Amino acid sequence: MATQRRVGENLLPIDWGAISPLRLSAQMVAEGVFAGMHRSRRRGPGVEFGGQRPYTPGDDLRFLDRRSLLRHDRLMVRQFETETERTLWLCVDASASMAYRGPDAPGAKLAYAALIGAALTRVAVAGQDPVGLTWLQPGPEPLLEEVTASFGFAAFERITSRLESARAAGDLSDDATAIDRSVRTLARRSRRGSVIVLLSDLLDLHDDALRELMVLASGPRALVLVQILDPRERDLSFRGKVRLKSIEGGRVVVTDADAVRSEYRERLAQHTDVCRVAVEREGGRLVEACTTDDAVGVLRAVLQAIAEARR
Amino acid sequence: MSFLTWAALGIGLLVAVPLVAHLLRRRPPDEEEFAATRLVPARAAVAQRKTAIEDRALLAVRALAILALAVLGATPFVKCSRLSLAREGGASVALAIVLDDSLSMRALAGSEAEPTRFERARKSALELLEGLEPGDAASIVLAGDPPRVALASTTNLDAAKATLESAVVTDRGTDLESAVKIAGELLESVEHVDKRIVVLSDMADGGEDAPPLEPPAGAKLWIPLQELRGPRYDCGVVQADRTGVSVAIRVACTPTYVAQAEKAGVDVERRVEVRVGDRVLAEHKLRVDDTSDLVLKIPEPSDSESEMRLFVGLTGEDAIRENDTAPVVSIGGQLHAGVVSDASSSRPPTGGAPMVEQVFSALDLHVQLRPLSTVPDRPEDLAGLSLLIVDDIPGLTPGQRRDVADWVEKGGVLLLTLGPSAAHAPLGSGFSPMLEGLVRWTKDAPKGVDQQSDQFFGEAFEGLDDITPDGRAKLDLGPDNPFEVAAKWSDGAPFLLQKKLGRGQVSVLTLPFDPEKSDFTVRLGFLHFIHRLVTTARTLGGTARTTVGQTWTFDGFDRVKLERFGAGDAMEAVEVIASPNGRSRSASPNRIGLYELTLDDTVTTRVAAMAEGEADTRPRRVADEQQGESLGGVQASVDISHYVAIALLALMLAELVVRLLSPRWSGQAADDDRDAAAPEAPSVDRDAA
Repeated sequence: MATQRRVGENLLPIDWGAISPLRLSAQMVAEGVFAGMHRSRRRGPGVEFGGQRPYTPGDDLRFLDRRSLLRHDRLMVRQFETETERTLWLCVDASASMAYRGPDAPGAKLAYAALIGAALTRVAVAGQDPVGLTWLQPGPEPLLEEVTASFGFAAFERITSRLESARAAGDLSDDATAIDRSVRTLARRSRRGSVIVLLSDLLDLHDDALRELMVLASGPRALVLVQILDPRERDLSFRGKVRLKSIEGGRVVVTDADAVRSEYRERLAQHTDVCRVAVEREGGRLVEACTTDDAVGVLRAVLQAIAEARR
Repeated sequence: MSFLTWAALGIGLLVAVPLVAHLLRRRPPDEEEFAATRLVPARAAVAQRKTAIEDRALLAVRALAILALAVLGATPFVKCSRLSLAREGGASVALAIVLDDSLSMRALAGSEAEPTRFERARKSALELLEGLEPGDAASIVLAGDPPRVALASTTNLDAAKATLESAVVTDRGTDLESAVKIAGELLESVEHVDKRIVVLSDMADGGEDAPPLEPPAGAKLWIPLQELRGPRYDCGVVQADRTGVSVAIRVACTPTYVAQAEKAGVDVERRVEVRVGDRVLAEHKLRVDDTSDLVLKIPEPSDSESEMRLFVGLTGEDAIRENDTAPVVSIGGQLHAGVVSDASSSRPPTGGAPMVEQVFSALDLHVQLRPLSTVPDRPEDLAGLSLLIVDDIPGLTPGQRRDVADWVEKGGVLLLTLGPSAAHAPLGSGFSPMLEGLVRWTKDAPKGVDQQSDQFFGEAFEGLDDITPDGRAKLDLGPDNPFEVAAKWSDGAPFLLQKKLGRGQVSVLTLPFDPEKSDFTVRLGFLHFIHRLVTTARTLGGTARTTVGQTWTFDGFDRVKLERFGAGDAMEAVEVIASPNGRSRSASPNRIGLYELTLDDTVTTRVAAMAEGEADTRPRRVADEQQGESLGGVQASVDISHYVAIALLALMLAELVVRLLSPRWSGQAADDDRDAAAPEAPSVDRDAA
């Protein structure tokens, strides 16, 4: 039986469960990943040829590959590589639904998001990339302290500390401005070439939330959505007749879990696909994760998604 | 149906209460928080789930608990068919069980499917023992003739139970009066206030018209098991004696056999057959009245059959099969008794045969009486006798004395009556070694025999205390004389003396049979006296046949072996009991039939015959108060509340176990464990949630 949590303005403590302590768990997850697989590379002006791509209006005509035009009668642009830092922004959903922990989960969704975020920070720090932390939280005033992007192990310590003290609160479903406010702030801070990893369950969001989030994928930024679900949310593992109450939004549904399980799974898959299509349309990627999944595998998938996201 | 039946049915309906409660339960489902609620399609509650039994084990346990409660509530009304005593005020009880192990108890208790009367009685006795409580005393008396104490009064109920379990039915006669008397004596030795005697018998002791049994003083007599007392129809061969080619047969049947058997549909066409092996030598249609005496002539057996034993059997079937066959006793079947008396002096004044001969005839003792003028002076003449009565003769010659002494030592029974003639024995004559000492006849006879000193006549003593003889014999016996004084005159002088001589017995009466000298021969005690002598003569081996149950004594033998010819001539060993001093041995055959007796190197045969009265299966009367429910019954209440209470506790424990094993409860326990493992989850918040 799921632990009952109170939803509202009150900050809900996070059920860390088996994920605690976060620092140790994050380092162990990070060590499971090859530290050098992440190369912070940005194609564009540089000294080392980095391949070709089709010409799009607005490209610098200096890089137009005339040989390709003559040989293939196609407009191609030459690209060069240069090694540079690439800022990683973690955006963690701290709404009330992230405090949920089902009976089969090792910890709350927010705890799992913190684990992935901290491990990702550890990997980025090892690659000499700056890492920053921001929250997706409702309310006019931010309840959780953000961390500006910085280098080194100190950045890991700061971000881990903030993640450990995280609390969930608020209802994103009825706060139409909350996401927009958070997104705009993050968009302002993130520089060109930044990678934004949004850790959220992508549930209980209002209707325009997805469109607002896609702002983060626009321009020179790469957006990776990591959808973190509890096993019970993935499988609807209730038995028989059950009365379900939404953690955010106050929606109540009485249903027969055994009878609607397959239909629920279809709806959830549809919802995830909508998110995936939206983010991929903007060059981003979506990674699905469950709190019972191996964190190392999820971290690899996130790193792979970062590498594949539009540069 | 009675009110209690309806009440029990009503309580039984309560079993459905947990099921109905489950079906009527309409509690709302538990509310669960769920982030993806908006993706969950709503679905109306499925009616089928409401009717489904969620936890069958729990439902079963609760239904059983209600049943147990119903039984607990109905405990005062729980009855069973177990025989049990009714207690008065809860005091301890001293119980004497009189268990009839006689032949008539071999009859079936009811239909063919039911056990014998004895098994039914023994089972009831065990049930009675089961109902006894610590502190109660039990004793067991077997009522087969002669009655025996199987177990004296004891509080060791396990010993009583073991005794009952080892008890077996016999072919003995029945002596309920003596058995009840013995049971009363056993109860005298215990301190219990509440003393009960329970008679478990068919009450068929040959006395249908006899008065009901009298309870001993201080004890209550209870005769339950009325179902054992129905009449059964039986005939049995009492004796079969062969003299040459003649076989004298006596068959005893239940009185009114024909009428009752025809009424019961039993075949009354029965025949008596004399058989050797499988061949029938002679047969005769049986007259099934009370008793039938008949003599059948048989052909001379062939050479091959000369060594085989003859048997008399009855055709057809009746209640008891064991007494339908009896071995034929050659010659010695009848007891041969010799009487030496002066015919002129021993005849009654009214004429007729001497008194002693009249007594033999009146008692119908099946004795072949041989009047003798003198004591036989040849051993072969004495060898044919089992009993010799010498009535007031002037002594025996030395040769006679030697022969008679040898004859007695071989098992003969000698009665010497002393009168004026015996007191005037000529020189050289006497009774030594049968009787040492001088015999004197005196006129100063006191009046009557002392009843206090009587060890012989018992209930037949009536009238002996006022006999008025004209004189009596006096004996000058030394202090070391081997005689036992069985009865004394009122002045203390010996009236009747007895002693053993070898295997035989010598009795000395200090009165002659002459009716002119005394009126002893017309008293009841005289009949008893003669009957005892005959019985003793039969017992000591003067004849090959005794009634089953009578003790055979064997004195002076080093090796005694007794075996019974069983089915198919298989030999069944019979226990021979040695006396404490080791000089005497005895055995009590419990079964009808032919026995082989080995005394040192001599092998003889003996026959244990059925008691004639056992064929009469009609029960004697039982007083109403002796079968009243105030003493006990077969439907007494049994307190089983403590058993039910233990069952209820077990059911409660079972419910706890079922709840622990139930998935719902075990899931809650897992949640609790997990919450306890979360250090940052304060319990107050969890409770609030």
